[in-house]
Amino acid sequence: MTVTTSSETHPALSDQDWGFSTIDRPPSAINPPPSRMFYVYLAAPAIALLAVITIYPFLWLIYMSFHKVGFGSSSDIFVGFENFSRLFTDTKYIEGWGLLLKYSAICLSIQVVVGVALAVVLNNSRYEKILVTLFLMPMMVSPIVAGLLFFYLYNGTFGWYHWIFQSLGFLGETSILGSTKTALYGIIIVDVWQWTPLITLITLAGLKRVPQDQLEANMVDGAGSISNFFNVSLPNIYPFLLIAILLRFMDNFRFIDAILALTGGGPANSTRLLPVYLFDVSFQFFKLGRGGAIALTLLIVTIILGLILVRVLEDPTRKKALSGDPDN
Amino acid sequence: MFYVPKNAIYKTVSRRKFLELGGGSIASLGVGSLVVGLSTVISRRPVQAASSEDAKWKQYEGSKLVFMSENTPPSFAIREKIEDFYKLTGIEVEVITDGLPAVQQKIGIDFQSGNADFPISYVQDKPIGAPFADYYADLTPMLGDETLPQDPEGYGDGVWFENFLDACGRFYDRDRLIALPYDAAVACTFYRQDIYEANTKDFEAEYGYRMEFNEESTWKNVYEFAEFLKRKRAGGADVPYGYAQHQGSFAWTTQLDVQRMFFAHGRWLDWEIDDKLGTRTPPPSNWGDEQSVLLMQKYKDQADVSHPDNLANGTLELNTVYQSGDIAMQVQYHEFAASIEDETTSKAAGGRTAYAPCPKGEASWIVNGGPAVNGTNCGIGGVGINGNASEDVQRAAYLFCVYATTGNLQYEVLTGLGGTPTRKSVMDMPGVAEARQRPTSMPNALTFDAVYDVGIKDPNFVLGPKVPEANEYHSILAAETQRCLSDQVTPEEACNNIKSQIDSLH
Repeated sequence: MTVTTSSETHPALSDQDWGFSTIDRPPSAINPPPSRMFYVYLAAPAIALLAVITIYPFLWLIYMSFHKVGFGSSSDIFVGFENFSRLFTDTKYIEGWGLLLKYSAICLSIQVVVGVALAVVLNNSRYEKILVTLFLMPMMVSPIVAGLLFFYLYNGTFGWYHWIFQSLGFLGETSILGSTKTALYGIIIVDVWQWTPLITLITLAGLKRVPQDQLEANMVDGAGSISNFFNVSLPNIYPFLLIAILLRFMDNFRFIDAILALTGGGPANSTRLLPVYLFDVSFQFFKLGRGGAIALTLLIVTIILGLILVRVLEDPTRKKALSGDPDN
Repeated sequence: MFYVPKNAIYKTVSRRKFLELGGGSIASLGVGSLVVGLSTVISRRPVQAASSEDAKWKQYEGSKLVFMSENTPPSFAIREKIEDFYKLTGIEVEVITDGLPAVQQKIGIDFQSGNADFPISYVQDKPIGAPFADYYADLTPMLGDETLPQDPEGYGDGVWFENFLDACGRFYDRDRLIALPYDAAVACTFYRQDIYEANTKDFEAEYGYRMEFNEESTWKNVYEFAEFLKRKRAGGADVPYGYAQHQGSFAWTTQLDVQRMFFAHGRWLDWEIDDKLGTRTPPPSNWGDEQSVLLMQKYKDQADVSHPDNLANGTLELNTVYQSGDIAMQVQYHEFAASIEDETTSKAAGGRTAYAPCPKGEASWIVNGGPAVNGTNCGIGGVGINGNASEDVQRAAYLFCVYATTGNLQYEVLTGLGGTPTRKSVMDMPGVAEARQRPTSMPNALTFDAVYDVGIKDPNFVLGPKVPEANEYHSILAAETQRCLSDQVTPEEACNNIKSQIDSLH
């Protein structure tokens, strides 16, 4: 069998019989390069799915925020920016922001400090695997279940945690959820209990990637373990921490499950974080236009704060590299 | 290795075709099972007015309906007895129960999206009936339809306890009926007579009257009982707190708690509107007037001498506090008597608890005029039909409504799980009259004197306010009241804040 080709140089293309059928056309004629539309067709199902599950609801959210949304046979009424302007005089909306920022800041601070500390302790520990498994268990619990669990643990009549807090002198006869001064901390404890392990897990993954030679070199220079952590490990786990903090930050901004089970936003609105208020407006009061406006502002602020966080926490070495620092 | 038949399917059908067929079949099965499993299915056999009763009951045999309800004893009972309904009608009914806030959200979404995934639902008067009344089907044409089976007692106001039909069935329009009374929770006073008797001597020495509670006892008496017990407890005595309020996470419970006390004093109402029908356009509210400010102060004073975990306890948790023996009195809904009298879970069982009407208004606290009454309110749950459903689905659902509100079924629930009847005829059924006295096999019947003979009768009964924005109103009222109880605002500021917020709602 003869293989014919335009090239004369390649040994494989000589007159020798290689056992293949004869190709009498150039390869480009057999497999012409696909047209652009081919790629469009390939991507179309994924784009359509994405559009259905994210883009369409997002556009609908924008639409609702500019309308008084009617139901059933009644039609929507365009109200311009009325839903937005009303938010500036809505004390629950403003208080909701304050509570959300306070809650988010406290949760993140505690979770990062405790999560990183736990990861450092667990890293290379003899019982690392079993302890990591144990620490991960709260994350596997659904938030609403976690809320119900703590609701009973905090109960002033029969709750174990209430009894412990009372025995330790932290609380009197008022349960942690029964006072406007402590209820927010009650839900913070639940969040910290459930999501600190995520920070630990991600940090632990980062710690595994810290170059051993850098650690050893630093120790040869006389550094102790604390100096090693701050000067070598911490800069190396920055990208991991950034991911962990971003994930938790965004989660906190849409956190309602456990709060609904624990307090429903009370007492006296002391735990009515903005996402809880958004839920109330949309699905208790069924004011979808107002709810849309709240949701849109929440989304925009989340994106802006997320970008700020990324800028602040960006890996310093990468930052230097990007800025063209010759020392790097 | 394996035996492969010559005509194996993969040999006769191309692989691509095989995968397409398989995928298509799986998708069809999945969608089909979802449709059949979750949605209403209807099949109809025509009947005439002259058809037999059996034919009328069975005209929708083979259909399937969904009933969304609150997790209350009648709902559990009807789920247990759903087989009886199936035998009677051939209609399969899936009873889904949940907490009231979740029921309200699910029904609301169903209604407002124009669907009828829940063709039958629980119409709790204010949280569900007031905002969604327009979405329910009008039952009036079906009540007189001769091609449908009817309850021999009928459905007029006279067959139900006073005001019950108005409470859950009529909203903003007297000619339209959207639900039949199915479940009742009426407030009355539960108090520990053993503790009152043990302390009456000391109390009398200090306050000049006996520590007793009856129909004439006022909110001032309640305050003094609680103040006395709290002081005694602080002095080291082994006594419970005297009282606790309904607060907790569900705002409606706080609204009802405030309303009872306010209405008791001169029949004070939030709005000057028809309390039984409500209105879509309420006038400016009465909040902020002299009477409301004074009563908010008294409500706060009451909170200050109540159980210290007052703000954490919703209705269910409050009942648990009472069951555990931590308080000597609660104003509670009469359906809870069964749990109080359960000796396995309650320290207040075994004849320690007595039942009385809600406290009366204190004459010296009335500044706007009007009588002092035993202000009593309720949660009357009706069973109603989704107006988005087709005519046949509505008719099939009506069969369930008739069945679920019969006197016989209510009697069975009362004697079994501990229900709370809505039909007067149940009072005449065997053993019910005797069960009002101890020893009793129907603990809820111990409350009947207080509830059915006094509480629900005018001038004591208050239903409203029925306004479309009821849920937002409850939320505002609860938040401001709790801010007042937490010393964040004064009673006057709380009342003014409520007024400014609710006046802008409508």
